[in-house]
Amino acid sequence: MRQPILYTCASFLCLLFLAGCEMQNEFTDSPRQNFEVLWKTLDEHYCFFEYKEVDWEAVYREYSQYVDESLNSYELYNILSDMLNELKDGHINLITPERVSRYDNWFLDYSLNFNEVLIADHYFQGNYNWGSTQMQSTFLREGQIGYIYYPTFTEGVLESELDQLLLSFADCEGLIIDVRNNAGGSLTHSDRLASRFVKEKTLTAYIQHKTGKGHTDFSNPYPIYLHPSEGVLWLRPVMVLTNRRAYSATNNFVSKLKVLPQVTTIGDWTGGGSGFPITSELPNGWSVRFPTSPILDINKQHTEFGIAPDIEVALDPAWEEEGRDALIEKAIEMILYPPPGF
Amino acid sequence: MRKAWFLLLFICGVACRLMPQTLQEELPRALNEGTLLGFGTSNVKDTYLSPFNYKGWGIRILNERMKIVRLGKSRFSRQQLINVDISSTKNPSERINDFGGFVDYSLGYHYRIPLSSQFMLMSGLSGHFLGGFIYNTQNGNNPLSAKIDVDLNLSAIAIYHTRIKELPLTFRYQIELPVAGVFFAPPYGKTYYEIFNVGHTSDVISFNSLHNKFAMKNYFTVDIPIKKVTIRAGYLNSLYYTDINLIESHLISNSFMIGWVKEFISLGGKRSRQSHKSRSAFYSNGF
Repeated sequence: MRQPILYTCASFLCLLFLAGCEMQNEFTDSPRQNFEVLWKTLDEHYCFFEYKEVDWEAVYREYSQYVDESLNSYELYNILSDMLNELKDGHINLITPERVSRYDNWFLDYSLNFNEVLIADHYFQGNYNWGSTQMQSTFLREGQIGYIYYPTFTEGVLESELDQLLLSFADCEGLIIDVRNNAGGSLTHSDRLASRFVKEKTLTAYIQHKTGKGHTDFSNPYPIYLHPSEGVLWLRPVMVLTNRRAYSATNNFVSKLKVLPQVTTIGDWTGGGSGFPITSELPNGWSVRFPTSPILDINKQHTEFGIAPDIEVALDPAWEEEGRDALIEKAIEMILYPPPGF
Repeated sequence: MRKAWFLLLFICGVACRLMPQTLQEELPRALNEGTLLGFGTSNVKDTYLSPFNYKGWGIRILNERMKIVRLGKSRFSRQQLINVDISSTKNPSERINDFGGFVDYSLGYHYRIPLSSQFMLMSGLSGHFLGGFIYNTQNGNNPLSAKIDVDLNLSAIAIYHTRIKELPLTFRYQIELPVAGVFFAPPYGKTYYEIFNVGHTSDVISFNSLHNKFAMKNYFTVDIPIKKVTIRAGYLNSLYYTDINLIESHLISNSFMIGWVKEFISLGGKRSRQSHKSRSAFYSNGF
């Protein structure tokens, strides 16, 4: 009896080692393979083909003809980044050890509507109520208005700091939150600030995700709620100042605040960038960042190309000469002298 | 997956084919405990993070406890395995790292089938928990892939005692094969931001079986008594493949293990104090 069992065990062991073998889908590091992997990665995961009406197959045909094995890495980078820019998406980057590709036309084609020196010289005037690298604030109009400039959501502000800040504005009639030139960062950080302006759980957006590799394979929109902070809340008027460089998490912040009854947005359209980006890589180790999950507004509409302001205002060069920012002045007017019915 | 079904049939077949013999009831039952440190290779892939295999090294600590239990007139033994495994792997261009960290726990009961004074087969079931993560150092919003599995495993052990000159050696081969369970498996395209920040947690737990998961552990050891200590040396091959929701993942490791074994009994019983003899779940005095 022992021998058959031993033979069985020996056969069994052989089988185990076979089970450990895998058909590898490794790619070689060649210009063609890098091109193919990049195109396919976007093809299967990118979320705005249909919305932007991009014929990705046509893009393949166009750029494939430029790719051959003689390309050096510099030439390959140029071809691949040009291909990605066909998607007109500021969230798409090709990242190499030396360079990062980017699509900037979402703001380059528009007026800046922001003058940092003007604000520093004529509004802050060196009087910072509370400031950090993430946020600066001051009082305007003899303390009637609180002004916050939030230049990036890349770094967060502590809940305790927000408490302190909002308490310092306790006697103000309204608040101006300036997010011009804030190109985004972390949604966690932007939500932390946004949660100070709701008193109850509030529907502010929707999110979708890809359910398959097809360009139209999406889940049903799932609601995103803004939950009130447990700290100090601000329920008086809020004016949010925007320009075309308010992008990504900032676009999301504006979209959420726009829903709230005490909030008015003033300035220019935001820059957009409503897709949630993830990262993948190419065989040569270059990384690619691209959005996969669209975040929709409360009406289940895309905000990928930006959000219109409630009140459209542009910087006026003549006012700038006088030391006045047209957007801030409009916000002050809306707080101190709101139009009837507002 | 056909290979997996073959293994399953083999393990069931051996259990049904062979009959037990009379067991030694009267001796106290010893606990056999081994603690081993392992070093070896690691191969990681998770298409939520990257389409490529990452290769590198891994280290692990394995603690094993085995004891004959009263169940079925002492024809069963209980085995607990606790395994902590960490790895560092690099992508094919060696520019990006994945770090992995996993904890395994399994509790199994094996039916003991002594074939001779030297050879013992055991076959049974174990409950298994796996928890851990793969962390990619390059990725921004998708830096981590979590693994949480709870499975029912088929398990089989073969133990063989022999002597080389005067040196007694104990060889063991063990296989563990999950056949059914549940695991954390987010839908294709659903990011961890949507799951954990937004709270859209539906459909993230899936049933698993051999159609979407194949995992196996192969464990070879040899126990070598040297003076008053027993050294256990071995090799552990761990395979873990999943393919669900268009996301493929694998964790493959091969580790060479070295450690020590202790065997001890509770001194609470009168008989234990009177005699140093005991009944081992692992060595030939337990057959």
